[in-house]
Amino acid sequence: MTTAAPQTASEVKIPPPPSGRGLLGLRGMPASDLRSILSLTRHYSDIANERQADEPLLKGLAVANLFFEDSTRTRLSFTLAAQRLGAHVIDLAGQGSSFSKGESLTDTALTVEAMGVHAMIVRAKGSGSAELIARVVKCPVINAGDGTHEHPTQALIDIYTLCEATGSLDSFDLSGMTVAIVGDCASSRVARSNIAAMSSLGARVVCVGPPGMAPASLRALGCEVLHDLDSIAPEADAIMMLRIQWERHSEAVAAGADAIRKRAKLGSLRQYRELYAMTRERAESMKPGAWVMHPGPMNRGVEIDQEVADGPRSLILKQVAAGVAVRMAVLARTV
Amino acid sequence: MPPPILIKNARVIDPASGIDRVADVALRDGRVADIGESPSFDDPIIVDAEGLIACPGLIDPHVHLREPGQEHKETVLSGSMAAAAGGFTTVCCMPNTSPTLDSPEVLSFLAERAQDARCRVFPVAAATVGREGQLPSEIALLARAGAVAFSDDGDAIASAGVMRQVLGLVRDTGRAFMQHCQEPTLTHGAAMNAGEIATTLGLGGWPAIAEELIIERDIRLNTGIGCRYHVQHISAAGSVDLVRKARGRGLPVTAEASPHHLLLTDEACLGFDTMAKVNPPLRSMADVEAVRAGVADGTITVLATDHAPHAAHEKDADFASAPFGMIGLETAVALYHQALVETGILDWPRLISMMTVAPAALCNLDRMGLGKLVVGGPADVTLIDPKSSWTISTDDFAGKSANSPFIGREVGVRPVATIVGGELHAGRLGERVKEPAPG
Repeated sequence: MTTAAPQTASEVKIPPPPSGRGLLGLRGMPASDLRSILSLTRHYSDIANERQADEPLLKGLAVANLFFEDSTRTRLSFTLAAQRLGAHVIDLAGQGSSFSKGESLTDTALTVEAMGVHAMIVRAKGSGSAELIARVVKCPVINAGDGTHEHPTQALIDIYTLCEATGSLDSFDLSGMTVAIVGDCASSRVARSNIAAMSSLGARVVCVGPPGMAPASLRALGCEVLHDLDSIAPEADAIMMLRIQWERHSEAVAAGADAIRKRAKLGSLRQYRELYAMTRERAESMKPGAWVMHPGPMNRGVEIDQEVADGPRSLILKQVAAGVAVRMAVLARTV
Repeated sequence: MPPPILIKNARVIDPASGIDRVADVALRDGRVADIGESPSFDDPIIVDAEGLIACPGLIDPHVHLREPGQEHKETVLSGSMAAAAGGFTTVCCMPNTSPTLDSPEVLSFLAERAQDARCRVFPVAAATVGREGQLPSEIALLARAGAVAFSDDGDAIASAGVMRQVLGLVRDTGRAFMQHCQEPTLTHGAAMNAGEIATTLGLGGWPAIAEELIIERDIRLNTGIGCRYHVQHISAAGSVDLVRKARGRGLPVTAEASPHHLLLTDEACLGFDTMAKVNPPLRSMADVEAVRAGVADGTITVLATDHAPHAAHEKDADFASAPFGMIGLETAVALYHQALVETGILDWPRLISMMTVAPAALCNLDRMGLGKLVVGGPADVTLIDPKSSWTISTDDFAGKSANSPFIGREVGVRPVATIVGGELHAGRLGERVKEPAPG
């Protein structure tokens, strides 16, 4: 009889999510796979730029958007991507569906699959939701953001946009680059996916924020952690700003919306901006040719100032623009 | 009265008296009639116990029977069937029911339900009204109505002021207070152990210090009060140290360990496996080793399953939304044996002592003669096959729920029958039982 002998914490090798045919996350994905999705993204991007006819790769197939949590850019760009590949798209939003009547995630997914869909795009509030659904349905599942776990297509968008800006669309090699992710990293699925993929492609990734938002424990993901933005801003090749996700801060949720507003009014927001916002001065402290990014949604005047968001260093709209091509590439590879 | 029972040629282990030898045990009129070579009655049920261990009926001082209020997960009856399948003759059930076990009236309802149960069921009553941690419950009246201990299990009493009052009130009943040690402001939104895996999976982390702080605070609050203070389901290395030091100073502090905290780490949560979601959470290997070391050196004296049934559809959710808890009754003996005997930490008599003598003392059940085998005492006996070998499967669960992270695990040893007050629950005895010839 053997007693299971789990390893000590330092030896823990955390296996990546199951790969299957879908896309649940980027952690553990080999660099070659990342580059192959990114190359395909370039292909679809070129087709769009040259106004060529789309390839109806998914003609006759149906793709379902299962969004149990709010989204603007992710849902619309997945829809457009699937349509451009010739698929039918059906949409389910958390509100106005049976999910709001108490149906479970897996029952909703099975119900939609039974209607004959060939892929599911899943966004949900709980970490691991896409994996949960992938375990019960037969069709491929693409994670469009699960809680504070992963948001793989957003990270692919961010990397594609950065490579486009830095002229590395041929190699998708981030070696020698320093990328700072600033703000509420602990609550950010975008940060987790970016840390995994950018590190895999050679970048040095540094998470920056106050201790509650950039705790030292994030080092387990393979990034560095700093609490001083001004010490890293001048050497970063790109700085990605993140929104403060109050809705995921359980202490704040427990204390109620009034407490959050009061906290902001009483000056914690002022302090946050002083230390971590992308102000004009801070943008000016960055080295020439360095970029400012934001996966959206932005809170102008909180984590980023208007003139930087709309300024010459900003890649923010280019990130949105890459969304459709990235999602076409992901759909083309998985469905 | 049930017919007399003669258990023949068992390895009789009674830690209270130090007996460990092959002998026969005779039970009559719900009492132990004899422990010796050849007692004789007319027409007994004969149990051929050659190769089996016979010990005092096992006691689990920490189970959730879900009745009243959540009968779809478990009832007193179904939970008692799980207990019998696991070799337990007595369980103490926690008060987080709906309504809460916080009034003599609810305790009488429970006592009524317990009459049909396959084991003895004693209530642990809530120490505060509704387990809200605000107002002490009618602790004296609850003790008179049968509460064998007090706890707000599921939640710690977070307020130091309320806690101090409760310790005084519980002390005056002569009962123990059992704390679920969890400082709530450190565990908002927590779903699993704080660590690399929680960070990677994007799940809220439950840090060990949330447990340690409450233990440290309570030990200080209890200074000068002297209530018997019991740490439930201890999970962290630092907590074991605190209990060890307190016991070293002669303070009335005890602690219990659950099977999962002796065997599993937070790696069991990988793949978002909700079966491994439990409170307090599965922690690191260093913590598992510390809990085992606490058992080895006598810091932890009690074993308790924290049997926490949940329906399949409730665990079939994303990790953060799924409820905390796992069942434990049916698999406890095999898992404790794997964690503590196969590793050389305990021998059989000490293991049995931690499941009989110690929980009986904790819950004042020793005064009823439970937890030991003595002539004239209650005929509560557990029979264990120490040479079994089995793979845990859902077929082995006798309760209503099957939420166990141990499904598929290979284990040895298995309880095969219980006798409660002279009533035989034959379980897996098969042909070892010979009923008296009719007429």
